[in-house]
Amino acid sequence: MSRGAPDAIVPPADAGPSSATARDARTPRSRRVRPPRSDAATADGRRAAFSMLDHGSATLAGALVGQVDGRWRLLAATALPAGSSPDALVGLLADRLDAVDPAAARAIGNASPGAPGRWADVPRLVARSRPGANLAVIAATERTRAWLEEAARGAGWSVVAGSAERTDPLELTRLATRPGVGAVLVGVVDPPGADERELATEIAVATAGIAARRPGLRILLAGPVPDEPLLALRHAPAIERLPAPDGAPGERVASRLRDALAAARGGTDDSRRALEAAAGSLARVLGLRIEILEIGVSGAARVLASPRPADDGETRAAVQLVEVPGAALFRMDQPGSIDRVDHWFTQGLDRARLRDRLAELAIAPWSDLDGDGALLRAAALRAALERLLAATDAELGNAGVDLVVGAGGAWSAIPGPAATHVVADVVRRPGTVQVAIDHARLLGPIGTIEDDAERDAVVADLAADILLPVGTIVMPRGLRPNRPAGQLLLETAGGRSELDLVAGGLTLVDLPPGARGTAELAFRGTPELGPRGRHFRVAVSGGLAGLLLDLRDIPLRLPERPDRRRELLGTWERALWPEHDA
Amino acid sequence: MIDSLDLVPVRAHLVSRPHVRLELQPGDRVIAVVGDEVRAGDVLAEKIRDPRMVETPMPRDGADQGIPLPGTWLPGEHARAGRHAGAPAGELLFEHGGRRRLATGAHPDRLLAPGDGRILEVEPGVALVLEVRGTGLAATELLGEPHSGRLVVLPEGSDPRLALDVALAGAIVVLPGRLDAEALARARAMGIHGAVVGSLAERDRRDLVASAARQQAGPHRLAPFGVLVFGAYLRRAFAGAVQAVLDVAAGSTVGLVGDPALLLLAEDLALPVPQPDRIVVRGGAEAGLEGRWLGPGGLRRCRGGITAETGLVSLDDGRTLAIPIGELERFAAPASGG
Repeated sequence: MSRGAPDAIVPPADAGPSSATARDARTPRSRRVRPPRSDAATADGRRAAFSMLDHGSATLAGALVGQVDGRWRLLAATALPAGSSPDALVGLLADRLDAVDPAAARAIGNASPGAPGRWADVPRLVARSRPGANLAVIAATERTRAWLEEAARGAGWSVVAGSAERTDPLELTRLATRPGVGAVLVGVVDPPGADERELATEIAVATAGIAARRPGLRILLAGPVPDEPLLALRHAPAIERLPAPDGAPGERVASRLRDALAAARGGTDDSRRALEAAAGSLARVLGLRIEILEIGVSGAARVLASPRPADDGETRAAVQLVEVPGAALFRMDQPGSIDRVDHWFTQGLDRARLRDRLAELAIAPWSDLDGDGALLRAAALRAALERLLAATDAELGNAGVDLVVGAGGAWSAIPGPAATHVVADVVRRPGTVQVAIDHARLLGPIGTIEDDAERDAVVADLAADILLPVGTIVMPRGLRPNRPAGQLLLETAGGRSELDLVAGGLTLVDLPPGARGTAELAFRGTPELGPRGRHFRVAVSGGLAGLLLDLRDIPLRLPERPDRRRELLGTWERALWPEHDA
Repeated sequence: MIDSLDLVPVRAHLVSRPHVRLELQPGDRVIAVVGDEVRAGDVLAEKIRDPRMVETPMPRDGADQGIPLPGTWLPGEHARAGRHAGAPAGELLFEHGGRRRLATGAHPDRLLAPGDGRILEVEPGVALVLEVRGTGLAATELLGEPHSGRLVVLPEGSDPRLALDVALAGAIVVLPGRLDAEALARARAMGIHGAVVGSLAERDRRDLVASAARQQAGPHRLAPFGVLVFGAYLRRAFAGAVQAVLDVAAGSTVGLVGDPALLLLAEDLALPVPQPDRIVVRGGAEAGLEGRWLGPGGLRRCRGGITAETGLVSLDDGRTLAIPIGELERFAAPASGG
């Protein structure tokens, strides 16, 4: 059941202009299942309903949605480890709904009350994450290899790459035939440069040699790569033609090639790509600049969506999505990855043991749920978020948004209030931002609805159920640490409270989910909170954590000594983590 | 009718007539052909230790029997008078610009069949697929190389430093106790063909891989050695169902393979199958305990504030607990490997 209030997500009063600059979110996709209209009734006169399933790499999340008082509402939701039966999950939710509200359960669904499998045949919206797609990139030159590699990584592929310029044909063959590689991307720029013309033929012939060894290997050709050597094979492979890499060298731009590679990797129900459409709907419906930070076990993605008025009076949304497989939750293959988890982990653990525990979690993400296992997940989440932001800041920027949404299984494995702390620790931007979690993992399935208007209608009904508000963060920059910083005056419907502010730490103010108010901040100096100034008046809304005044440095500076760092982080963590020491 | 037991994730257990992939590299020479019936220990391919690429001119007309495809093993050609420099034996990568690119190398090692079976598929330089006659016991991963040998189960609590000796040369040894890379290096040095372990820490895995790399770099390479891991990284005992199979298979010839990770067992063994509702706790405070599934336990708040779906489990020690379903697993019914 939803724990959020219907109107909990509101735009802050100081919301500035949009920072996103990309194209409209109009990715064509073929729909698998259409949810029934909200005013529809079944043949036996019962109110319409549908279920949603998000098949993640680690988690199977399911939800029942039904019509209540003329609008869609989330009736029940839960999550199980991947590998559990979807039918059993839907059955579990239906039983739970029956137990909690038998009258509602009888009125909603498809078949007669009490019949077995009453929920089994309602329409299902299904999204699936596509893990472990490995792509071998073969380019003519190093310059093109860098382009292709960047486009492929941004589309969510795990990449091994080489170029004819630097890598000998034996090594190219080995990297394209290694276990786990399911596709080969071969590319040259269009038109090919003088250095690429001869090499383009050579890599085409080398690819034909690879395809002859691996029947069934997908061959993706980007740009004017000759396909004659491939077509001449006895069992010619299926060739997919993609746009050539474009853009100036070193320029990081969304490209047609990346979109095509994303479409080639995921199906129409790919849950990570579906976030693009879902974010667009959220931005249009809520009228907010939205940032989705999705962290999963097999990958990660960052989505920015901004509403903007169109000439026809409608609201459109500019949406950008970048996938970063390297920011997967427990992926520790980059130099320093374990050090960053150790940096954030508040429990002392020797390095070998820490590495073993993270490797174990990568295999069994649901094990070790309680105690310091949850704290370790939170540390790994912070480290993954750092990698996600570092990989996407150059393209998506670091400007403020109105609402940050945590999506993916990683956010569900920590208590809601702690999610606010995670965002505050890693997303260090001056300004005011609301934080919410896609707690029932509805965004992926909703994003698979092809039609924008239809999806917007579902989002409009379900917005309060989709997003679990966990708090509002107010984060000024430029305060002098450990000194009185000013006063806060918070006015809500329930009253008004005043608070002295001290720079250098976190201050937590109770503001329950659904509560809304205005915070007046009077600083002694002139910090930056969006613009610079002494006095600010911002709209705030409540959440599980409440209002978090983060008066720490931007960027966050922590003690070098591990024991002192852990102690300080632990102090903050305890304030926002119920049963931290249980 | 949906059974609540379906809420618990399934772990593969016994696979009959599994299809296993044996990895090859470009340059390896495959000896077996599709349809061959092979026995454990038969040579399937020659693996080149340090393959390199050579460019050779196209041979004189008529030297090839037909047009060779990429992946074809080409015999060496002697140098001839004039401009033809000859070519070493090797595997054809491709032909381009009037020249051949070959993968070749010296010091071939032998790839041996890990079990009895039939060659189903050969992808030159990539893998060959073997349909094994018998049953596979599913593991998590194989470190090292596939191999076969007589299965010896060391008793629980035995110290590998004392229990491993040259009398076990040629055997696959089940090591149920605490294990480190030193014990594995010792086993390899004694001619033991492989080890079966419950788990192996990351540090020991790295040591093992480094040890294998050193062996590969040396001129006198030791025999292949594989370590089959049934758990993951943190120390765990074998699950009861796995231990029961290992006990039955003790003394018989078994094989180790990595894709998929399996312990290959003889066809004629009567293997015990766990009850469908048998549950293993794989994490948390009760890790390693086993019991019987009773039904869903509802949403519960765990220590530390996380809320999770639980299942009621009647543990073998007599307690009935609600344990997060994420900490549970059960074994799949025997399946066919096709």
